Amino acid sequence: MENRLAIEILGVAFPNPFCLSSSPVSNDYEMCAKAYKAGFGGIVFKTIGPKDYLIDEVSPRFDATSKEGTPFLGFKNMEQIAEHPYEENLDALRRLKKDFPDKVLIASIMGNDDESWAYIARDVEEAGADMVELNFSCPQMTSHAMGSDVGTSPELCRHYCEIVRANTKLPIIAKMTPNLAEMNTVARACLEGGADAISAINTVKSITHVDLDKLVPLPIIDGKSSVSGYSGAAVRPIGLRFVSDLARDERLKGAPIGGIGGIETWRDAAEYILLGASFLQLTTAVMEYGYRVVEDLIDGLNRYMVRHGCEHLEEMVGLANKNVIPAEELNRDYRYLPEIDEEKCLKCLRCVVSCYDGAHQAISYDEKTRKPTIDENKCVGCHLCELVCPAGAIRGGKVVYKAGRKVAKPLL
Amino acid sequence: MVPMRYLEEMARGLDARAALREASRCLLCLDAPCSKGCPAGTDPGKFIRSLRFLNEEGAAYVIRINNALGALCARLCPTESLCQKGCLRAGLDKPVDIGGIQRYLTDLEAENGWEFLSPGEDTGKKVAIVGSGPAGLEAAAVLRSYGHGVVIYEKEEQAGGVLRYGIPAYRLPEEVLEREIKRILDLGVELRTKAEVGRDVDSDALKKEYDAVLYCIGYTKGKVVEPFKGKENVVSALDLLRKIKKDPASFKAPENVLIVGGGDVAMDVIGSLKRLGSRRLVCVAYEELGEFRASQKEFGDALKEADSIIAGYVPESYDGKETVFRHRFLESRLSIKADLTVLAVGQTYEAEGLPLVFEKGTVKGTFHTSGDPKVFFAGDIAPEKGKLVVHAVKSGKEAAMIIDRRIGGHKNGK
Ligand SMILES: Cc1cc2nc3c(=O)[nH]c(=O)nc-3n(C[C@H](O)[C@H](O)[C@H](O)COP(=O)(O)OP(=O)(O)OC[C@H]3O[C@@H](n4cnc5c(N)ncnc54)[C@H](O)[C@@H]3O)c2cc1C
Ligand SMILES: Cc1cc2nc3c(=O)[nH]c(=O)nc-3n(C[C@H](O)[C@H](O)[C@H](O)COP(=O)(O)O)c2cc1C
Repeated sequence: MENRLAIEILGVAFPNPFCLSSSPVSNDYEMCAKAYKAGFGGIVFKTIGPKDYLIDEVSPRFDATSKEGTPFLGFKNMEQIAEHPYEENLDALRRLKKDFPDKVLIASIMGNDDESWAYIARDVEEAGADMVELNFSCPQMTSHAMGSDVGTSPELCRHYCEIVRANTKLPIIAKMTPNLAEMNTVARACLEGGADAISAINTVKSITHVDLDKLVPLPIIDGKSSVSGYSGAAVRPIGLRFVSDLARDERLKGAPIGGIGGIETWRDAAEYILLGASFLQLTTAVMEYGYRVVEDLIDGLNRYMVRHGCEHLEEMVGLANKNVIPAEELNRDYRYLPEIDEEKCLKCLRCVVSCYDGAHQAISYDEKTRKPTIDENKCVGCHLCELVCPAGAIRGGKVVYKAGRKVAKPLL
Repeated sequence: MVPMRYLEEMARGLDARAALREASRCLLCLDAPCSKGCPAGTDPGKFIRSLRFLNEEGAAYVIRINNALGALCARLCPTESLCQKGCLRAGLDKPVDIGGIQRYLTDLEAENGWEFLSPGEDTGKKVAIVGSGPAGLEAAAVLRSYGHGVVIYEKEEQAGGVLRYGIPAYRLPEEVLEREIKRILDLGVELRTKAEVGRDVDSDALKKEYDAVLYCIGYTKGKVVEPFKGKENVVSALDLLRKIKKDPASFKAPENVLIVGGGDVAMDVIGSLKRLGSRRLVCVAYEELGEFRASQKEFGDALKEADSIIAGYVPESYDGKETVFRHRFLESRLSIKADLTVLAVGQTYEAEGLPLVFEKGTVKGTFHTSGDPKVFFAGDIAPEKGKLVVHAVKSGKEAAMIIDRRIGGHKNGK
């Protein structure tokens, strides 16, 4: 099958939009080389910090949430930035660019003052990076002059973007923290300061679990723990929202957006793209399943595009955003009543349980046959029943217009 | 040396993850049909939901408080025809492994030393239970929870009935049985073994000493039918299994064995003998394949052990070595020579000297009461349908409740 996934962003040609996000999955030359070979179009190398900044990690450093036997619903980490020596990282960048000239190499960087932001930017450009990503967003740095403490301040972000702008000609991506009520103010400040693109999201501040015997949150480090970053499938809805918010903001002047957060499948990728991302980054899925996840990301997205007659990835970017509108503008003139497919219905009556205890007491059932019936007068059309049905037996059925409201066939 | 294959539990249990995954398959039905499928009133809908919401201890409680032999039923119930038969998940793929989850939870209970059963406040009343099979054990647990004194009379050396002397170790490990019995005895039940009522102990004396006497004597005698009666090299399945279980180390498995019968008992004979070293096992059943009474699980396992299972033949003659069978419907004869012939053609009671009147193999009477106001009965010998451990549990529980009502006095029973 021909490759429809190539895309050019800020003059850099991506063979496909899939990149490793900056994290342990992109820690050194060998790992990145393996990821390129597995099919990733680009790599954001593990964040490079100041030469003298000591990275001293804890052990253990991860935790995961799960539900009903699904592991890694969400993933918590307490890592900071690159552990390898500064020169070794630059050397890895050099070798990667030399050995994989057709792939995209992005250097993630983080300074702790003007001077360090400046020289790291210069050094990674010199080493051969195609782009730089400014990490304004790690939520668990041991210094408050770094990470998401910077990323929540528009002034600091603008300032450091200006510094980097003055020290490199490379396209600049500013990586956002989601630990904000809204992201657009910070993103605008970054563009004003000279950034060319935005990537979102970094991890969400979290506590995943508390050990109920020791009374310490997880992971336990010498009897204590800290608030730190949450990633993986659980944060995807948050990432999608921020990406869409950015893409719909005219004042961001169409700056390219890198979508990050919980991407595991091509469907997740397609959702990010349709909401405005033109390239994508992932970590947690790789930590759980390995670089091979990229195979189905590429193949699945390509096939989707073929099915929909989409020739170039670009055409897809942001297509769903016109359908994201403020809640006050939604059509509230009708109820869309669910319907039960009797053949598929297993008679477990989960719909009855949820409708009674979580909705409007609109589903009753026959005690003998266990057949559920929806009362059209009581049903508000919330579709909770459809969501809880384990057999997929409940679907939207008929439209009922509210009394005195406009009668016009809605798009369902 | 007894082979490990005989001693070790054949079926592997679910681990914590597998059990949670299995619980997650449950549809959490309103008014769960599985919960209506247990004769003993176990509520899988409730304990699976508790596990699903990570309340393992609460889940284990739900099982134990209803059934003092929950860890046994988890292993021995033909769940496919009881709770799991109602499981609506089957409409999507296959039923939830309710037995497996129950086993996981009862094992966890043991591992953690959770204790859910406790005796009731002393009522000063005393009940004698004759027989320590599942019916007698369950009745003892319930009566103690009411606060009545309980003494069990058992003719064998150890308690358990069929659980102890019938069901092979690879299906029910000794330590599991010990745990279940100990938990009941720890409620303050006195156990008197090698005390056969009607022989070592006078049944009238019992009636005088106690406020009630509950007979749970089970079916202890394997049937020997024509043409095998009085012949040599023939043994009933019950006698053979009992001999093996009493002393597996000194049991010498015969080379070639013919097993007559097609129920669970025949399957247990096949499984035991194969594990203990018999070479050729041929099983001939009266039933045609579709009518086999053995549970799916047991039949499936026996298929792997027996060298052949032949259905639809009736024994006609036997000369101490060779049995000649004829087919039930077609013109066909079959003759098989074996070192030993094992009859698994049904069990019956032995009730000499006991105040029980039998009719068609079960005690005459209703609701566990005989004509005598002090004499009650439960378990296999009761006329109710079902001859499984779970039915014995149900029966023992009901009898205990009826006795409690008769003798009165308890404050905190249910
Ligand atoms: C080989 C075999 C395998 C089986 N497998 C299964 C299975 O997998 N699953 C299942 O659900 N069911 C199974 N069953 C059936 C199940 O074991 C019985 O239904 C159950 O044990 C009946 O319990 P009970 O308490 O009535 O009698 P029993 O278990 O027979 O117990 C009766 C007790 O009373 C004692 N006793 C008898 N007379 C006297 C007396 N006069 N004085 C003192 N004590 C006396 C006996 O020694 C015995 O201990 C199996 C049965 C057999 C024989
Ligand atoms: C263990 C771990 C380490 C990370 N380290 C960095 C980092 O050094 N720099 C950075 O910008 N983001 C870092 N991140 C954030 C990820 O790049 C990414 O933004 C986030 O995990 C969300 O994507 P995901 O759901 O695909 O993992 C890290 C994430 C994890 C899980």
